[in-house]
Amino acid sequence: MEEKSCSYSQDAKQHPQIMYAGILYHAARWILGIVFIYASLHKILYPAAFAEAVYRYQILPDWLVNLTALVLPWLELFLGVFLIIGLWMPGAVVISNLLFIIFMSALSYNMARGLDISCGCFSTSPTAGAADIWTVLRDGMLLIVSLYLLFATFARTVRVRD
Amino acid sequence: MPIRDRSHWRHAFWQIPAIILLAGLVGICVNYLRPDSIPIVGDWSAKTSMAAATQDKLSIPLAGAANLFSEQLAVFIDARDEQEYADGHIRGALSLAWDDASERFPEIAGDIPSGTMIITYCDGEGCHMSYDLAVFLRDKGFENVWELANGWTVWQDANLPVEEGNAVSPRG
Repeated sequence: MEEKSCSYSQDAKQHPQIMYAGILYHAARWILGIVFIYASLHKILYPAAFAEAVYRYQILPDWLVNLTALVLPWLELFLGVFLIIGLWMPGAVVISNLLFIIFMSALSYNMARGLDISCGCFSTSPTAGAADIWTVLRDGMLLIVSLYLLFATFARTVRVRD
Repeated sequence: MPIRDRSHWRHAFWQIPAIILLAGLVGICVNYLRPDSIPIVGDWSAKTSMAAATQDKLSIPLAGAANLFSEQLAVFIDARDEQEYADGHIRGALSLAWDDASERFPEIAGDIPSGTMIITYCDGEGCHMSYDLAVFLRDKGFENVWELANGWTVWQDANLPVEEGNAVSPRG
């Protein structure tokens, strides 16, 4: 007879490191989930302002600016909710990593070419400060959390008993 | 015996497009239903941007602002913070940092004769403080208020007159 079960819950009592890994895994899920949901709200409320923020990045072709401004906030919202409730984790975690890599690349690219624009990361407010090295570092730290979650999600093992 | 669960990759393969599709459908549907919807494909050509800027953003081109400066027909107001103003500003500009605009507005209001043209500016393409200040001043009753977008940078690039000084008094 074959029985499959998640090793986290089964072995946590016997191996404290597995329990800590479980806590870290859930903490990472919640941190990223809350960040994504928080980041999405202002953009969903003010699509025109966010479209302008996307346009100011001067990276996407014009025809993609509004479409990105309409879809990206909802993608962030769904990602945040899925990460928190643990739904479709493999897909959500991969997209999360891709998004942070894209955000960091876009910010770095515009900093390198001296474009003085606001981040548009958490707020579309015109008074938000210009993106700087700290903005990139913040994204970098979130990418590290996201990479950990990717590792934790895909490296999870299952116990098989004969 | 613990073994690596490879089914996650198989799940990710369909979940990634599914999540993106879900977000796309909801985003477009909500946009269709909301009163302040935006077109799915916007017209961001430079010409349109300039026209929109002139009509909606109260924007004035640099050449126009420079003419008004040389003819002394406009009052310039710096929307950046006081330290940035002290480090350098358009010659003769008043300082009214956007963050303190409500509190400090009465200080400078008396220095601006009614009907005078006002040009606000800050720094950086992403800086909207000058636009906000222009709208704020219009709300306060000044009808002839304009914004010089990315003003401090374009003003310096054009080698137009600047000066340094503390922002202790409204006239710096």
